Parts: sequence; structure tokens; C-alpha cells
Amino acid sequence: MIRTELKRGTAELAVLSVLEEGPLHGYEIGRRIEEQSGGTLRYTLAALYPLLYRMEHRGWLRGDWETGDSGKRRRCYRLLQRGRKMLKPMRAEWADLFHALRRVAKVTHG
Amino acid sequence: MADWRAYVREHLGSLHETQVQQEEVASELAGHMEEYYEALRVRGLGDEEAFAQTCARAGKWEELRRGIISAKQEGSMADRVRQFWVPSLVTLACSWGALAILIWAEVRPLTTHPGKPGSVILYVPWLFCLPLIGALGGYLSRRAQGSVWRIYVAGLFPALAVVPVFLLTFPFAFVADPQVAPDFRFTALVATTISWVILPGIALCLGVALQGLSKAQGANR
Repeated sequence: MIRTELKRGTAELAVLSVLEEGPLHGYEIGRRIEEQSGGTLRYTLAALYPLLYRMEHRGWLRGDWETGDSGKRRRCYRLLQRGRKMLKPMRAEWADLFHALRRVAKVTHG
Repeated sequence: MADWRAYVREHLGSLHETQVQQEEVASELAGHMEEYYEALRVRGLGDEEAFAQTCARAGKWEELRRGIISAKQEGSMADRVRQFWVPSLVTLACSWGALAILIWAEVRPLTTHPGKPGSVILYVPWLFCLPLIGALGGYLSRRAQGSVWRIYVAGLFPALAVVPVFLLTFPFAFVADPQVAPDFRFTALVATTISWVILPGIALCLGVALQGLSKAQGANR
């Protein structure tokens, strides 16, 4: 299991990446990240929501209350242009980091 | 089934937000917990086990509370910069820049009592520029979704910024020069305030108000 501090750093990229696929509410964001990472990345509410609010204030996302088919009101997050622009450099940064780690720490896949 | 909203309210504590904002956060977190709990139940977990796992998924409540407060504060600071400081500094720079150009071009001001220190000084072309500058400040603040208070203060900033300068320099000047008669000092203060605060303030305010009016009319169309 990946340590909490290490996971925190990945959260911004993970949230932006799943929102790139379309608008989602908080629970669904967490579920998609968990599912797509094969259960490796699991965020608690304490990790996920402060991040969502911070990204919203930075203008990367926008949260709107919507009523779903079930009649439940949920806050749906949409990726904004500014957030979309952040994705490319963020992905490049992480790719550089993995590349460097692979060389230094002899980390390999599998 | 647990009342997740009550559970969140009980554990989250105060976020130093308005009642409405606090309730919105509590509703969102409660909705998340409820869906997580229901998903665990669908997967076949018993009520107690699903409840325990859902509570564990929340993480540390104190950490969540502090995280949300910090995120919201960062947001309000960014809002203050976009809605107030940027428009205010733009109006200040434009206003002083316009005045500097007029002085450089040797445009003569109108004076009510030429040669006397108690005279009101009017740079008429500058006063005609100020509504546009006020409108620009109002527009920038409004575009960043500033409150009415922030919109007007940002538009009026060039006039308001002069007030503390007067408050600091006048008493010092009066103390430094005891030869000047008290009634004369008062006249000079009033004339300077009219020249650099009140009249420019009215011109700037007019610009902000007209900009707001045109925006409202545009929205009604």
C-alpha cells in the first residue's frame, strides 16, 4: 500500500484526469480513481474534499449542485479550461519524476 | 440507516463559514458517505461493517476540518486579489498615469483662488477621464464576481488612497509650521480634500455606477 504522503502528491493529477472524462460528483471521483488505479489510490474525505475546494478556488474546477435521477442533490464538478491547461505540464512533470526514480532507485515495473 | 448529515455535523465542527456554506459542505460530505455506505451494502457487507468502513473512509475529522478551512481561506485570498486589489491598483495606476501625462503636457489646472494655498485645484481633463477609469475598475471587479462593496471601493480607490496620505501629512505639516493660522490650515485642508478626494471620488463613482447600469441593462435585454 502506498503511503498517505506519497498519495497526496498524486491527488491533483488523479482528480483532473478523471474529470477530463466528464463531470462527476465527489463520491464518483473517488470511486473512479480507485477503480482505475486498481485500488491502489484510495482517498479519504479528508484528502479529497479540501483538494476539490482548493482546485475550485484556483479556477481549475467548478462545482454545481444538481439533482440526479434518484432525486438526490449532489455537487457535480466540471473541469474548467484553466484546469485542462494544468493537465499537460502536470503529466510531463510526473513522467519526468518516474523516469528519474527509475534510474536512481532502480524502480522497475512488475 | 444512519443519518449521515447529522453524523457529519457532529464530527466536522465549525468551519468559520456562514450557516448556508457550512450546511452545503455538510450535505456534500454526507452525500458522499451515504453513497459509499450503500455501495458497501450492495456488495453484501452487513450494516455494522459497512458503517464502520464508511466512518473509516472519512479519515481524521480534525484534518478534514482544517483542510477545508485552509482551502476556503486560500480561495478567499485569491478572490480578494482578483476582485479588489487588481482592479484597485489598475484604477490607481491609470488615474495617476493620466494626471502625470497632463502635468507633463503642461496642462494648466483651474484654480478657484489663484496663488492662494486655500484654493481648489481642478484638472478638468483629468476629471473627465476619471469616470472611464472608475468604470474600468468596476468592470474588472464585477467580472471577477466582486461584491457591490468591492466593486465601488475598487473603482473609487484612486480617491480613497489619497485620504491616508492627507491624514498623515497634514498634521505633520501643521505642527512643523506653527506660523500658519489655524483657520488657514483648515481652509487648505478642505480645499485639498475637495480637489483630490471629493471631486475625483464623485467622477470615479459616476463611472462605476454607469458601468453597473449598462451591465444591468445588457442583462435585461
